Amino acid sequence: MEATVLPEVTSLGVIIKGIIILAIISAVAGFGTYIERKILAFMQRRLGPMHVGPFGLLQIAADGIKLFTQEDIIPQNANKFIFQIAPAITAATAFIALAAVPVFPDFTIPEFIPLLGGTFVPSIAADINVGILFVLGMMAAGLYGPLLAGMAQANKWGIIGSARTAIQFLSYEVVTGLSILAPIMLVGSLSLVDFNEYQAGGFTSWLIWQQPVAFVLFLIAGFAETNRTPFDLLEHEAEVVSGYATEYSGMRWGMFFIGEYANMITVAILASVMFLGGYNDLGFIAGWFIIIGKIAFFFFLMLWVRASWPHIRPDQLMWLCWKVLMPLAMVNILITAIVVMI
Amino acid sequence: MSLEEFKNRNTGQQSYKMLDIKHTPQSGIGKFGQVVERTVKGELFVGLWVTLREMGNALFKDNMHTIKYPLEKLPISPRYRAIHDMLRLLESGHYRCIGCGLCEKICISDCIKMDTKYDENQRKEVTEYTINFGRCIFCGYCAEVCPELAIVHGGRYETASEQRASFSLFEDMLTPIDALKQQKEYDGFGAVSPNADDTIKQTPLAY
Amino acid sequence: MSNEITIKIDGVEYKTQEGEYILNAARANNIFVPAICYLTRCSPTLACRICLVEADGKRVYACNAKAKDGMEVTTSTEEILEERRAIMEVYDVNHPLQCGVCDQSGECELQNYTLELAVDSQSYMIPDTKRESVDWSSILHYDAGLCIVCERCVTVCKDMMGDAAIKTGPRGGEKLGKELKDSMPKDAYAMWNKLQKSVIIPSNGTAETNCSDCGECIAVCPVGALVSRDFVYTTNAWDLKRIPATCAHCSSGCQIYYETKPASIEDNTEKIFRVTNEWNYVSLCGAGRFGYDFENRVNGKDEIAFNNAVDALTKADTIRFNSLISNEEALMLQTLKEKYGKKLVNSDAYAFQKFLKYYGKPSGHLLYGSDFKEIMTTDFVISVGASLRNDNPNARYAFNNIQKMNKGAGLYFHPIADSLIADMGKNVVSFTHKVGLEEAALYLILDLFADKEKLEESTKSYLDSFHFTETITIKEKVMETVTETVVDEATGESKEVSKKVPKMVEKEVEVERNSLVTLLGGNDKFAETFEKMMKKKESFSLIVGEDLYYHPKAENLAHLVALIEKSCNMKVAMIPPKTNSLGVALLCELDEKVEGYTVGYNENGDFRLSALGDGDLDMPAMNQQEGTLTNMHKRVTPTNAALEYEGYELNDLMNALECGELLTIDWTPRLASKRGFQALAFDDLPNGYTNEGQENRGYLLKNLGRRSGKNEPKPFSEKFVIEGEIAYRCNPQRQFNDFSDKAHQIFETFSLSASTAKAKALGEKVEVDFGKSTLLFDVVADERMEGDIVSIPDFKSANDIYTLFGSDRYKTVTIRKV
Repeated sequence: MEATVLPEVTSLGVIIKGIIILAIISAVAGFGTYIERKILAFMQRRLGPMHVGPFGLLQIAADGIKLFTQEDIIPQNANKFIFQIAPAITAATAFIALAAVPVFPDFTIPEFIPLLGGTFVPSIAADINVGILFVLGMMAAGLYGPLLAGMAQANKWGIIGSARTAIQFLSYEVVTGLSILAPIMLVGSLSLVDFNEYQAGGFTSWLIWQQPVAFVLFLIAGFAETNRTPFDLLEHEAEVVSGYATEYSGMRWGMFFIGEYANMITVAILASVMFLGGYNDLGFIAGWFIIIGKIAFFFFLMLWVRASWPHIRPDQLMWLCWKVLMPLAMVNILITAIVVMI
Repeated sequence: MSLEEFKNRNTGQQSYKMLDIKHTPQSGIGKFGQVVERTVKGELFVGLWVTLREMGNALFKDNMHTIKYPLEKLPISPRYRAIHDMLRLLESGHYRCIGCGLCEKICISDCIKMDTKYDENQRKEVTEYTINFGRCIFCGYCAEVCPELAIVHGGRYETASEQRASFSLFEDMLTPIDALKQQKEYDGFGAVSPNADDTIKQTPLAY
Repeated sequence: MSNEITIKIDGVEYKTQEGEYILNAARANNIFVPAICYLTRCSPTLACRICLVEADGKRVYACNAKAKDGMEVTTSTEEILEERRAIMEVYDVNHPLQCGVCDQSGECELQNYTLELAVDSQSYMIPDTKRESVDWSSILHYDAGLCIVCERCVTVCKDMMGDAAIKTGPRGGEKLGKELKDSMPKDAYAMWNKLQKSVIIPSNGTAETNCSDCGECIAVCPVGALVSRDFVYTTNAWDLKRIPATCAHCSSGCQIYYETKPASIEDNTEKIFRVTNEWNYVSLCGAGRFGYDFENRVNGKDEIAFNNAVDALTKADTIRFNSLISNEEALMLQTLKEKYGKKLVNSDAYAFQKFLKYYGKPSGHLLYGSDFKEIMTTDFVISVGASLRNDNPNARYAFNNIQKMNKGAGLYFHPIADSLIADMGKNVVSFTHKVGLEEAALYLILDLFADKEKLEESTKSYLDSFHFTETITIKEKVMETVTETVVDEATGESKEVSKKVPKMVEKEVEVERNSLVTLLGGNDKFAETFEKMMKKKESFSLIVGEDLYYHPKAENLAHLVALIEKSCNMKVAMIPPKTNSLGVALLCELDEKVEGYTVGYNENGDFRLSALGDGDLDMPAMNQQEGTLTNMHKRVTPTNAALEYEGYELNDLMNALECGELLTIDWTPRLASKRGFQALAFDDLPNGYTNEGQENRGYLLKNLGRRSGKNEPKPFSEKFVIEGEIAYRCNPQRQFNDFSDKAHQIFETFSLSASTAKAKALGEKVEVDFGKSTLLFDVVADERMEGDIVSIPDFKSANDIYTLFGSDRYKTVTIRKV
C-alpha cells in the first residue's frame, strides 16, 4: 500500500475544517431530529412533521427558533455554575471527538476564491496517530455532561439519571475499548487513516469480514455510549421523566441534543471507517459518496432500532455488559491474538 | 352452575393465538443459552423487518393512517355524543321541544335549565333553554329521556370557542329553519327502535 | 260519642272508632285502599267507585260504608281488582297523553293508580269530545280535557269552603253503547256512564265562578285539570323545593309548604312558585295559597340605617307594632319593655288581651277552653261577633263543615247579614241585630242552652224576665170523622160509612216567647225552628269574634262568654284579630296610647322598621325568617325561611342594645318565661300531620287554670246601640294585612265594601268622614252582604284605620258621594 503524497496541512486549513465540522455537524444534528421524527413516523404509519415548509422541512428552523427563544430556567436550589456548563461539556466533547475523525475527503479550496484560495483542507482535522484512542477518550469524557447536569439540578430524577449515566457509560466504555482492540491488533495502528488504508482493497477487505464479532460488539456498545434505544436509560420518560435533562429547557437542553446527535454521527463514522471500508472508492462509486452512504445507514439503523425494539432494564443492561459482551470481547481478542501470532 | 362458568364473560367468537412463552431460565448457563438462542434465531431482526415493512407500506402503498384533521375528518357514528341539537318537526317546522323538563331533571351534571310559560295558544312554550357546556359530560341521558326526540346529540365535536355560552342557547342548537330539509334523525339512545310497532300494544280506535 | 270497636282488615285486627268509614279506618292504620274521589274531611262523593272492598262478604264502597264491630274487611280480591282495573282503564280512555307538559308533573293520582293497578292495555274506547280549557276567575284555570270528573273540587268547595261555586255540568259526550253494560264490570260502567256525561262548570250559570278564590279545588285536584293561572306551565313540581311553614296571614296559622326554585335562567335567586298544603287535613284560604310573594328583597346590610335604627330605639318612648310578628320578636319587644321601659302599642292585640283578661277571671282559664278543630266535631255551632266570611277562613270552614258533615245546625249573630252563611245549610239561622246588642245575643244563648242549675239566682231571674207568654191563633189540621149515608146503586141498600176528612181548625195556643229574640231581629217562629234544630244534637260550640273585643262593654261580654262556657256545656273558641295576636297578647304587656318618640315596626312611627320595604330599616318578612307563631288553635307552630334575607333582623337590633341572642330562634326556648309556653328548641318542633290526621306541629299552649271567681254578669243595656250611617272595620275575603296586599295574586283593593243596593246608592267613589279625619274610598259591591252597614278595610297599616276607629269596630260616620 502506497501512501499518496498530501499537500501540507496548514493551521488555516485546520480552522476551516473545524468550522466546517462544527457547522455541518450542528446542522446535520438538527436535520437528524427531523429525519428521526420522519422515520419514526413512517414506521408507525404516520406522517411526521408536515406543516412547516414543504414536507415539514422547516420544522428544524421552527424548533431552532423555539429552543433559542424559550425561557432559560435554572432551578432555585441548583448548583448554577455546574448546571450552566454541563450542556457545554456534552456538546464540546462531542465535537472535540470529531476532530480526530475523518469526516469528508480532503480537498483544496479553488484558487479563484479570494483569501482562502489554495488552502488545503484535510479530511481529518487532527490526524493524530492515536486517533481512535482520542475519540474514545473524548467520548468517555462526554460522560461528565449528563453526570454533572443530573447532579447539579437538585432533582431526584436528575440524580437517578446521572447515576445511570455513570454506570452505563463507564461499563460500556470497557466493551467499546475491548471490541476494537482486535481490529487494532490487525491493523497495527491507532490512526483512523491507517484503518482506512488497511481496507482500501475493496469490498472483501473490509474489516467486518475479519472481525464480525468485534463489529457487533462495537455497534452494541456504540448504542449504549450514544444513549440510544434500547439503552436510553439515562433519560427514559417512562421511568425517570427526563433523567439528567429534567430541569433543562431552551438552548441548554438543545446543547445536550446536539451533543447526542454529534455522538451518533461520530459512532456512525467510526463504525464505517473501522469496519466497513472507510472512504475508499468502491468500484465506480466515489469514496466521499460511499462514506456518506455508510454513515447514513448507521444513522438510519439507530432510528430503525428505536422504532422496533423495546428498551431494557438497567439490571439487564449491566448483565449484558459484564456477563455477555465483555467476555465475548475478551474471547475475540484472544482468538485474534492467536491468529495474528500464527 | 359453578362460579367459574358464571364468570366466563367471553361471549363472542374467540380467535386468540396463544404465545409459546417459556419460563425464564434461572441458572447462568440457561440464561446464556437463551441469549445465544435468541441471537441465533434473529428474533430482533423480525422486529426490524416489521417496522421496515410498515414504513414501506406507508410510503409506497398508501397505507398511511394519519388523518390530516382539520382538512380531513373521520365519519362519526350516528350515536356519537357531541354538542346537542334541537330538532324541528319536519311538517310544520316548529321546534319539537314541548318543555316537559325531563332532560332538566335527568341531567346528572345539572347543567340543563329551561324556563317555560303558558302561551296564547294554550300550549307550554319554552321561553329560554340553556345547557352549561362547562359542566355537561355528554352522557346522553337527555337525548335518551326526551319523549319527542327534540334534544339529541349532534356531530359538532369541535367545541372550542371564545365564549362559554357559544353553543348553549336554544337558538344555537336549533336546526336553522332553512336547513330543515337537511335535518337528520337521530339513531342514538332514546330513538325509536326499528321494531317499535311490533312491541307496543294497540289502543282500540275503531270509530 | 265515639266508642272503640275492633275490625278485621285483611285478617289483621285493628281498633277504630264506631261510625268511622272503612276507608279512614284503613288509612289510619297504614293500609292502602285506592280512592280517587274521597276527601278525608268531606262527605263521600261516590264518583270513582275504586275504593270497592268486601265487608262481611258483601261488596261495599270503603269511603261510604261505616265500620261495625267485628266487621271483616278484605281490601282486594280477584274480582275487585278486575273491577278496579276496568275503572282505571275507563279513566284512561281519551285522557290526553301529554303528561310531559301537564302541571301535575308526576304528582298525578291518575298516573299512580294506572300504574298501581297495572293498566298496560286498553279495552274500551269512545270518540272524544272537544273540551276547552277555561279561566274560571282571575285565579282559577280549568282544563276540561285533563279532568276526570272525580268531583273532588265540587265536594271540597261545598263541604269545606262553603262556597259551592262549582258543580258538574253537561259534557256533550257520545252515549255509551248498550252492549257495554253487559260486557264490562258493573261499577266501571256506571262510573263511565257518569263520566261521559259530565264536566265541571261554575255553579252560578255563568262562565266565571263567584267564590272566594281560595284555590282549595286546585289543591285537591288529582290530575292537572285545575291549576292557578299564574302557575300554569311555569315549572315542574319536581323542581320545587318544599319548605314547611306556617301561613302568616291570619290567626288560623295553617300548615303550608312554600315551594321555591330559582326564578329563571337569568335570575338565580330563589322565588316562591306556589304554596301547597296537606289538603287532607288543612284547608287554606286564598290569601294563604296565593299571597306568598310578600318577601322583602334587600341587597345586603345597610349599616347606616341600622345605626340610625339603634339610635331611634334607644331614644324611643314607644314601640308601635302589629301582630304580624313571630312569638320570638314579640318576646324581644317585651324584653325591651322590661329592660328599657319602652311602651308597647299594638292596636289589634290590645283589645284581645284585655278581653282575655276579663274572660280569665271568672272562667279560671288563661285561654278559651276549646279550639276550632274540636269545634269542627260538634253539631251545633253559634257564632257571635264575627264576620265569619271575612275575619277568619278557618272559622268559616268549621261553621260550614258542621252543617254539611255533622248534619249540624248553626246560629249566626251579626249586624251584617251574610247570604253565604245563610246558604251553608238548612239549619242555619241568622240574627241580624243592631250594632251593640252582642250582650243580648249572649244572654239569648245562655237562655237557650244553659243548664239553669249552674246559674246564679240573679242571672236566672234576669233571664226569666225576658220570657213572656203570648196567645196566638194557629191553624191546625184536624182529622174529623164524618159519617155519610151511601146508597149502593147495585143493591139499593143504604149503608153508613164513616170517613176521615181533614179540616182546618183555628186554635188559640199559649206560646212561651222570648223578647230577646224579637230584640235581636229574630223570626216569630224562632221557637219552633229552634226545636227542630235541636233534634239529635249532642255537642255545642260557640265562636267568639272580634266585635266583642272592641265592644264598649267587653268586660261584661267576656264574663258572659265564660258563663256560657261553664253552664252550657259548650265548646268556646275565640278568633284572634290578626296573625299572632294571641301570641302577642300572651307575651307582651301592651299599652294603650302612643306617647313620645315612636318606633314603628310595620306601622307608622317617627322611625319605621319595615318588612314591606318602605321603612327606614328593612326587616325580613314572615317568609324570610324562622320563628314560631301562636295560632287560634292555641298552638305554637314553627315556620321556616323560604327565601333568603341578607339584611338585619330584629335580633341584630337587640344585640346592638345588648340583650340579644346569637340567632332569632335562640329566643324560642325563652318563650317559656311567659305563661303557657314551653321551653322547646326551635329545631325540635315538628311541622306535619300523621296519617290519622293528627296535627303534629309545634306544641299546644298550656291552658293554665287559676281560681275562678263568682260570675254574675251585668244586665245588658241598649245604651251602646248605634244607629245611622255605620262603618264596620272589616277586610275583604283574601286581604288580611299589608303582606297579603303586596302579593301579586291578591287583587282585592283597599276599598269600601257595601251590599249591592247600598253600593248602587253610594256611587263609585265616596268620602268617609270619621270626625277627626276623612278618607277617600272606591266603592265595591259585595253580593254576599246585606243591609246598610259598609265595611272599611284595615289591611293597610299606613292608613292607620285602627286609630280612626279607636276602641270600636263599628263607628258612626258620614259618607259623602264624591
